[in-house]
Amino acid sequence: MVQQDIASYIYQISGQNPFLCMQCGTCTASCTGREAMDFPPRTVMRMLQMGNLAVLDLKSIWVCSTCLICTARCPRGIDIARLMEALRVINLRRGREVLVAEKIPPELLLKVPQMALTSGFRKLSA
Amino acid sequence: MKIPYFPGCTLHSRAKGLDSSTRASLAALGVELNELPQWTCCGTVFPLALDNYMGMVAAARILANSSREGGGKLATVCSFCYHVLKRVNHAIKHNEEVRQKLNTYLEENYTGEVQVLHPLEICRQEVGLEVIKEKAANSLKGLKVACYYGCMLVRPAAEMQFDDPENPSIMEEIFSALGAEVVDYPHKTACCGSYQILHDSGLVKQKAQEILGSAASKGAEVMVTSCPLCQFNLDALRESYPELPRIPVVYFTQLLGIALSLPEESLGLQEHYVDARPLLLGRRG
Amino acid sequence: MAEEKMVSIYIMGKQYKVPYGLTIMKAMEYAGYRFIRGCGCRGGFCGACGTVYRKPGDFRLKVGLACQTMVEDGMHLTQIPFYPANKATYNLEELTPTLGTLLTLYPEMTRCLGCNSCTRICPQELSVMDYMAAAQRGDIEKVAHMSFECIMCGLCASRCPAEIVQYNVALLCRRLYGRHIAPRAQHLAKRVEEIKAGKFDEEIEKLMKMSKEELQKLYNARDIEP
Repeated sequence: MVQQDIASYIYQISGQNPFLCMQCGTCTASCTGREAMDFPPRTVMRMLQMGNLAVLDLKSIWVCSTCLICTARCPRGIDIARLMEALRVINLRRGREVLVAEKIPPELLLKVPQMALTSGFRKLSA
Repeated sequence: MKIPYFPGCTLHSRAKGLDSSTRASLAALGVELNELPQWTCCGTVFPLALDNYMGMVAAARILANSSREGGGKLATVCSFCYHVLKRVNHAIKHNEEVRQKLNTYLEENYTGEVQVLHPLEICRQEVGLEVIKEKAANSLKGLKVACYYGCMLVRPAAEMQFDDPENPSIMEEIFSALGAEVVDYPHKTACCGSYQILHDSGLVKQKAQEILGSAASKGAEVMVTSCPLCQFNLDALRESYPELPRIPVVYFTQLLGIALSLPEESLGLQEHYVDARPLLLGRRG
Repeated sequence: MAEEKMVSIYIMGKQYKVPYGLTIMKAMEYAGYRFIRGCGCRGGFCGACGTVYRKPGDFRLKVGLACQTMVEDGMHLTQIPFYPANKATYNLEELTPTLGTLLTLYPEMTRCLGCNSCTRICPQELSVMDYMAAAQRGDIEKVAHMSFECIMCGLCASRCPAEIVQYNVALLCRRLYGRHIAPRAQHLAKRVEEIKAGKFDEEIEKLMKMSKEELQKLYNARDIEP
């Protein structure tokens, strides 16, 4: 799917180098969405280091709420939220999305602050 | 003092109470917010892919429009709006490429000179805690308040320059000055799950349980926030999940309005699911 | 002499020499095109003949209605008479004039990026982006007023990176405004009552019995609004 080495492709989009990660797990311990993820951020970092393309198919990248707590706490100074965004962006630019406008429950559309729609569409829909 | 003001979409519809209580409480403190004559959605999230300039255009235009208003300041209260406007402003100011690209989409040249201010900053820096104390000392005496910041106000610290990202205290300072007893709890900068409400509401429910539960265990009677989405996720979700802790979640400007004895209709407290009025209205002088 | 009055235009990439001073629509017909669709009133009202073009030395897309825009030398153009836009179906009577209605029927409108492409392309010079901003806030009345002169040409939708159909959102807002927000016309209800009560029966009766000549005379002598 990706024509080049995944780590350098990610670097191109996010400006972040996954090889700086020392696998301490601070990101995972802090992560908002970790319980809903198939693999937590530390493992995502490791998969990137190993060049494992399955990282693009993880549920993890879509349950990230870009709360930036991983970024704020990474002792190696990696902006992990940007890196997660790059994984989403690679998918979204190929039309793979998880938030489909027509499938949002109408009862939510009648109540939810519209900022949730705008932000959800920007992060999760192609 | 007059400051140009960007309300944001949600404040004109589903969080009218945040808008009206912000205007009313700042007015009571001598700050008049002047809504920008023309504005669009700010974009709500800051684009994290380096090549996504389009995600910054709307915020850049809002900033450019506000610089035309003069005064060099722009006030906005919604945490998302504040986050995006502040970060886009920072990018325009410090990143040559961003500045040049965005300016080709704008109707005029903008170089990042506007200072984006949150009403919390206005309270502390422009008004001053002493003035707030003078107006309403002890009006919240004994009320146990949990200040909830969430994610967007404080992070990333280098760009937001708002407060300590791990242990912010600006809301605590303000409500302590008003006599409230602020509770210390570990989840004040935890994320509520944000837009995942549309994609994985189970995650948001779990976060609400953690955040509300943590504040409740410390004896909080009311939680304050500045974000309509945090307010919705923490409050409205209790309609579907009655087992979640029942602490009222209100905007900090609503509690400030109570302290300043503002009329009920300017506060919009009736918008919330768990009613804070029985707890708060009687406290007005 | 005749040579000087001709200009070169490029219709979908093919060069044609056409007389200077024609509208794009006339020039296309001069070049041999025959309009079955993409042509309506020829008076700048119906919005059927939206056209995009470029002029030499300018990278910007320009727009106009083919029936209103004059050809210029070196113009590259194509008509976009129709755009396959998303259009919600609804029963206006059952709707409420709220943000929730807009979001339920067109949730994609919150995808707006604020790029301003819609405003720049609008041949009616409407502030499309600004009325969409009002729609996102649920200010239906403002959308209805700001979009009043929309001719539904569809060019805004053709340019939108968020795939929003601005003109259909605006149409919904004008309908919601007209049906549910704008005050009802009191004089209309009064007149309907009068008709029902038979106030005009006698007059109609009189008209029915008139000859064609009498009717023509009456028609020609009617009050005409200035």
